[in-house]
Amino acid sequence: MTTIVSSTTGALRPRLRLSRDQVIGTLAILLGLFTMWAFALGSSSRSNSQLTFDPVNTSGTLPWHVGNLTLATRLTCLVAALAIIAIGAEILIRRPKRAVMVRFGAAAALFFVAILLWAARTHGPSQVDFVNLTSVLVGGIAPAVVLTYGSLSGILCERSGVVNIAIEGQFLGGAFLGSLIDSVTHNFFLATLGGVVIGGLLGLVLAFFALRYQSDQIIVGVVLASLVISLGSYLNLQILTPYPQYNAGSPAPNLTIPLLAKIPVLGPVLFNENGYFYLVIALVLFISFGLFRTRWGLRVRAVGEHPRAAASVGINVIRTRYFNVILGGMVAGVGGVALFAWQGQFQPGITSGYGYIALAGLIFGRWRPSGVVVASLLFGMSVYLANNLQTYQVPVSTSILLMFPYVVTIVVVSGLIGRVRAPAADGLPYKRD
Amino acid sequence: MPSVPRWLRRVISSPILLTFLAITLGLVVGSFVIILTTAPVLDAWRSLFHSWGGPGHAIKTTFDYVGAAYRDMFTGAVIDPNSLWHSITTGQSWTSTLTPLSETLTYATPLTIASIGVGITFQTGLFNIGANGQAIIGGIAGVAVGSSLHLPTIILLPITLLAGVLGGVLTGALPGLLKSFTGAHEVIVTLMFNYVANLILLFTLLSTPLQQPGQGNDISRNLLPGALLSPLFGTASGLRVNWGVFIAAGVVVVAWWFLERSSLGFEFRVSGANPHAARVSGINPRKITILAFLISGGLAGLAGITEVAGTTHFIDGGFLVGSAGIGFTAITVSLLGRNRPVGIMWGALLFAALGVGGRSMQASTGIPLDLATVIQYSIVLFIATPVMVQEIFRIRSRATSGLQLASQGWNT
Repeated sequence: MTTIVSSTTGALRPRLRLSRDQVIGTLAILLGLFTMWAFALGSSSRSNSQLTFDPVNTSGTLPWHVGNLTLATRLTCLVAALAIIAIGAEILIRRPKRAVMVRFGAAAALFFVAILLWAARTHGPSQVDFVNLTSVLVGGIAPAVVLTYGSLSGILCERSGVVNIAIEGQFLGGAFLGSLIDSVTHNFFLATLGGVVIGGLLGLVLAFFALRYQSDQIIVGVVLASLVISLGSYLNLQILTPYPQYNAGSPAPNLTIPLLAKIPVLGPVLFNENGYFYLVIALVLFISFGLFRTRWGLRVRAVGEHPRAAASVGINVIRTRYFNVILGGMVAGVGGVALFAWQGQFQPGITSGYGYIALAGLIFGRWRPSGVVVASLLFGMSVYLANNLQTYQVPVSTSILLMFPYVVTIVVVSGLIGRVRAPAADGLPYKRD
Repeated sequence: MPSVPRWLRRVISSPILLTFLAITLGLVVGSFVIILTTAPVLDAWRSLFHSWGGPGHAIKTTFDYVGAAYRDMFTGAVIDPNSLWHSITTGQSWTSTLTPLSETLTYATPLTIASIGVGITFQTGLFNIGANGQAIIGGIAGVAVGSSLHLPTIILLPITLLAGVLGGVLTGALPGLLKSFTGAHEVIVTLMFNYVANLILLFTLLSTPLQQPGQGNDISRNLLPGALLSPLFGTASGLRVNWGVFIAAGVVVVAWWFLERSSLGFEFRVSGANPHAARVSGINPRKITILAFLISGGLAGLAGITEVAGTTHFIDGGFLVGSAGIGFTAITVSLLGRNRPVGIMWGALLFAALGVGGRSMQASTGIPLDLATVIQYSIVLFIATPVMVQEIFRIRSRATSGLQLASQGWNT
């Protein structure tokens, strides 16, 4: 039954769908034209933008200083715009088979650079006339770390055939418990443990409904996420408001790696981060290796692609799925703690859709850990820009700026997933004979 | 089970019984949440072994608090027997006696409309999780028309409502078109657009002429008197229930006819029940997807403007945000009503009562309103899992089909 459903639904796609290359290529060209119009022509020819590289707060203690780079705003934006257009044209004309996402990622990166240079131009509306590349990267990586946790959770669940839409709820649960534990014990190790427990429990609930009772996974996921969010708001009013000492956590401290942290730009970005950054890198490597190089990974993928076949060679489908969904919940729970550790305080709206953006990142990253990292960086950078472009007093309303990550997500899922294929049995209930 | 009479078997396997049991279980979950988070109840259980009277005291405290919470919910949402008796015997203060019912109906009006919109997409096998965003845009569009055009009521009210519908239709078109032309999954598009809609709302209220003149806050202009859905019993009655009730009733009837009697509605339902059969029999899935989202978005928009024209008369930054988000409640209401218009109407009344009662409970016992939301979501979780409810209550019957939609996972 399962196989019939999955093969027929494949045939149900409308045939007249735009090809992925056409969509991405067109999008890139439009992006390039917009860059040219808004940023290159939108700045005067005498404007300059300065790129600085030294970390803002610790520049005195660094052994090396990197000089500042001054660029002519209009010229640089023009070059960026033309490069984006060239990428789009190349995709449209050559229709490359591989690495389309990489090309689009490059176009997006150029676009981000153009935005920042334009925002920081001299004679612009704001007094700030430099872009500190280090803080931009550090700022973009913080949300990217959280999103990567979410997407990795999605990989674990969906590779085994269970859709986990409750990531948003697991984030919130992790953030709430992490904040509570950190406020009481000031110990991030225990807070992380709390995230593991709550995320795993929520994963267990999802798995229980999806596997024991074969409920619709999307419905259960959405309801579970909403349930946790209202519960978070309830507990916030019932516990955190009357007892503020339970919501008095602080951002996680940075763990500086000696020597390496002193490398210009890369040092502060990669070797002076909090523990959740290093943990997520370890998880990415671990899950990549586990999924594609171990017996466990082969079994998980078999269960996600063709549970009947997997069962016929003696794999316990239900147990594999339980294990993965709970494991995925734990990863998302830690992501929630990372979210709290980045923001430093719990509030009911702390997740603001990151769990759902992580799902989009999962699709964009084609259910692969490496792809998910690229997607998270893209979304993380959008979150950073949305929150920080205001400091440059760009002539756009704050509300519009804050839409950026959500719009990017919509554009990405509509333009990029095209022919991306989920694990074949993803979301389908499995019944033993 | 030969000894069980046939009528009893029919009752046992009917979805209505399951719905009632799910509601009961939801209330049980709610009482556990109250027990676990209310300090006096916890204290009573902590001193369980301190004295001989400990257990009795603990149980009594629990029942007192949980009972008071649910009693407040009921009297705040339906009717207070004492007050009713007082009104009957003295003939006075009917307003305060009827206010709870009026409030429940007021809240249920837009909720019914939005939920039917969501239900139509569910019946078509699609997810519209963006009803809240569509309702917000509908509200904005309606306010834009209804606060600026000085026309007589007979023209202004219809075009205000129409503007709301149009706003919702345009917003609903986005996920529909994207789904059918690029394959973007509607769940992600609609979820993301909810956030975008909230920000559009803030932008509108802070940076456009719709902002209340002379205001720095996020608050819109008032609808002109001609654009309002006036209270059923007149403004002087103090009861907020308004003519929007009839709009909601009309939507229920039309939606019932559309889904159960019209041929397009049949195509919708076939597409939801068996996409393959639909395609083989010549139903164009792309057309159905787009139409379902247009209709659903339009109804959500209508819900948004009904809320404004009937109840709030202006919009502010809190419009349909948080626990006021009827678009999110609509998802649960639709599932509760098994996606059928009449069922949805009852579901909307129940959830409206929970919401209104929750507010009164918050006022008198201090238990946050979110408890009502927790109960609502728990109920739906049980609705989505009928087999579990049957197991809990030891009901044996033929396997009742749960809520299974055609859209499962990302490949569909």
